[in-house]
Amino acid sequence: MAFLDNSGDIILDAVLTEAGRRKMAQGNFEIDRFALGDDEIDYSLYNKNHASGSAYYDLELLQTPVFEAFTQINAGINYGLLPFENTDLLYLPVAKVNELAGTTSLLSNIARQGPLFYVIDTSGDTGALNRISKKLNDNSPVVQFLEGTTDGLNFILIEAGLDTGTDQTPNGTKADRDNYLVANNLIDTSFSVYYDNRFFGTVRGPARASAFTNAGASDGFQGNIYLKRSKPISNAGLGIENYSAASISAISNEIYWNSSETDQDFSVINGPRSVVTAVALTVKTGLSAEYSLYGRTSQTLFNATVDYIDTTVYVVGNRSQAQVQLPIRIIKLS
Amino acid sequence: MAVTTFEILDTTKDVTTTRTLLHESIPLTGTIVSGTYGAFRSEGNIKNYTHGQFQSVYDYPYLSSSANHIFDIAIGYDESSTLSGTTNTTQQAKKINMYNQFSQVLLGYTGSNNDAKKFELDLTLDATDGFVMKEAVFVTLSRLITKDQIKKGSVSVTLGTGSWADPFSDNAGRGRKTLTDASASDTGGTANTLGGDYGLLYELGAPNLVRGLVFYQAGILALSTSSWTAPSAGSTKGETGLEFQRYDTDASSKKTVAQVFTGSAITGACDTIRHRIQNISFNNTTEINSTIYFCRVPHNTYNYSSNPTYLSSSTIRVKSVNTDTPVSYITTIGLYSSSNELLAVAKLSEPLKKDPNNELTLRVRLDY
Repeated sequence: MAFLDNSGDIILDAVLTEAGRRKMAQGNFEIDRFALGDDEIDYSLYNKNHASGSAYYDLELLQTPVFEAFTQINAGINYGLLPFENTDLLYLPVAKVNELAGTTSLLSNIARQGPLFYVIDTSGDTGALNRISKKLNDNSPVVQFLEGTTDGLNFILIEAGLDTGTDQTPNGTKADRDNYLVANNLIDTSFSVYYDNRFFGTVRGPARASAFTNAGASDGFQGNIYLKRSKPISNAGLGIENYSAASISAISNEIYWNSSETDQDFSVINGPRSVVTAVALTVKTGLSAEYSLYGRTSQTLFNATVDYIDTTVYVVGNRSQAQVQLPIRIIKLS
Repeated sequence: MAVTTFEILDTTKDVTTTRTLLHESIPLTGTIVSGTYGAFRSEGNIKNYTHGQFQSVYDYPYLSSSANHIFDIAIGYDESSTLSGTTNTTQQAKKINMYNQFSQVLLGYTGSNNDAKKFELDLTLDATDGFVMKEAVFVTLSRLITKDQIKKGSVSVTLGTGSWADPFSDNAGRGRKTLTDASASDTGGTANTLGGDYGLLYELGAPNLVRGLVFYQAGILALSTSSWTAPSAGSTKGETGLEFQRYDTDASSKKTVAQVFTGSAITGACDTIRHRIQNISFNNTTEINSTIYFCRVPHNTYNYSSNPTYLSSSTIRVKSVNTDTPVSYITTIGLYSSSNELLAVAKLSEPLKKDPNNELTLRVRLDY
């Protein structure tokens, strides 16, 4: 994969992807829509302090060399341009994993990364779950894992919002949430979860009855996350081979700044918060050869001999396109 | 990762098709055809077959994986030729079969007996005496170089008509003949047969002397032996008695064209013809059918990005205050199916600035 010659006129270099060629062979090649991407651009090079004025702010961006088009579908467009029509936006939401430990029953179920999220493969064996979970619980620090079962209690908690920072404007008040997020239609109603369907069977997300607020006594935490099975997304052009997608709900994130400043105890977003969601993954039963094909076997971890597979799960907000990539390690006793 | 924001294409306004003809100049010099990759008759780029019906010419020793097949040579004559049935008729059946095979594929059959038509040095195929070409050298050009077809009016073949030792300019006044199809074009000068359009190869400088045929779609040259038997235009020195082949100094090894056609195997005759090819050149044609997608980007959308570097502490990097103009930089256009499958990718050679002050139409052409 080389760079395109950018010394003359602007040219377009177009290729069919593998999927395009397959569709061509099947006789159902039909292009219906397009999307725009800017993966090569590093916007941190935008220099608003250029001495020569605004015409030079994007000088380095415009000189960015662009790669040739290539045929793998997962290398097409990773981060698309956004269609927001409001030109007044100065802030856009980000998504972050909430790994705050807490004393409430909800927060004690939050999986924490260290540096990976561990998902236990029990293959339906409760005894195995107990044995490996004991190893993880005995570890120092404790590894807060996902059970990998359809009825596990633990989940990865993801928050979205404007992470503008302490004492910055906008801040985490309800008024700023309404002004900067609700008014600009930047509140996600759902998230898409992209996962490797060779390893995971289903994804669970929060039920509508879930709540996430600090409206409790003394501005304490109030709420709960109830997990339910997600809806598969059937026509998602995932862009990654072997990946499936599921849609999980977004719950209103009503952690607000207040005079007692308890918001930072429960939330990793430091500013107006939009929504929160939870992801619990169910490992496919019967994984066996996959560990030697895609992972590692007979490794010593947590004073145990284990097999594991590392994979990544992507979670993307449906409106804001805020996304977070979750590094996951599926683990089982050898 | 997946993209979830798409712009729908209106197939009535945003999609169109076009057809383009692309031509490449193909010069095949005699040095490739003879003598470059080894001693004459044992060159590494010449492939002979045990069946002995034709000979293949490559652009490099053919045992190498980087060699490309350029063309094949064969000879043949009709069974009504005066050469047929003469004594010393090596591989006569194969030579007649070769002629018939080319004629039945390129010209078809005629009459109630379904006789294969004979090649004629005119555009009528009416079997007029004097125009029938009963003996021919066939040069079948590889599809690799002819692509979809040979461009009409672009063919030039230079043959050596001099002595064996100096085939391209001997001191007997014989030199070379250049055959061209200059009278052929897309609008005339050709005829259509079963094997596609064909034109006439005239001797350069002699508009009435036809020395062969060129079948454009099939990529086949059918050359008359008259190039070596008839005098050149305006020349007082005829080729009669030309020592068409003489492998050694022994005068008894000298052969005329007719003797080579009857007395040599096809492979040997092909060697001799290669020795007398100085140049073959033509333009090929590739027909490119294209679909053009006009990707229209409205002024008020796609001015923001989900690129992780676009934000710093949730603040858009390219803006200082909310009234600043948002801007994004397009590098890629993805074309998707209705089920959001990425079917084609187009990359811009440099980033294209997009802000609310401009509306873009990106013209993406897919060639088939």
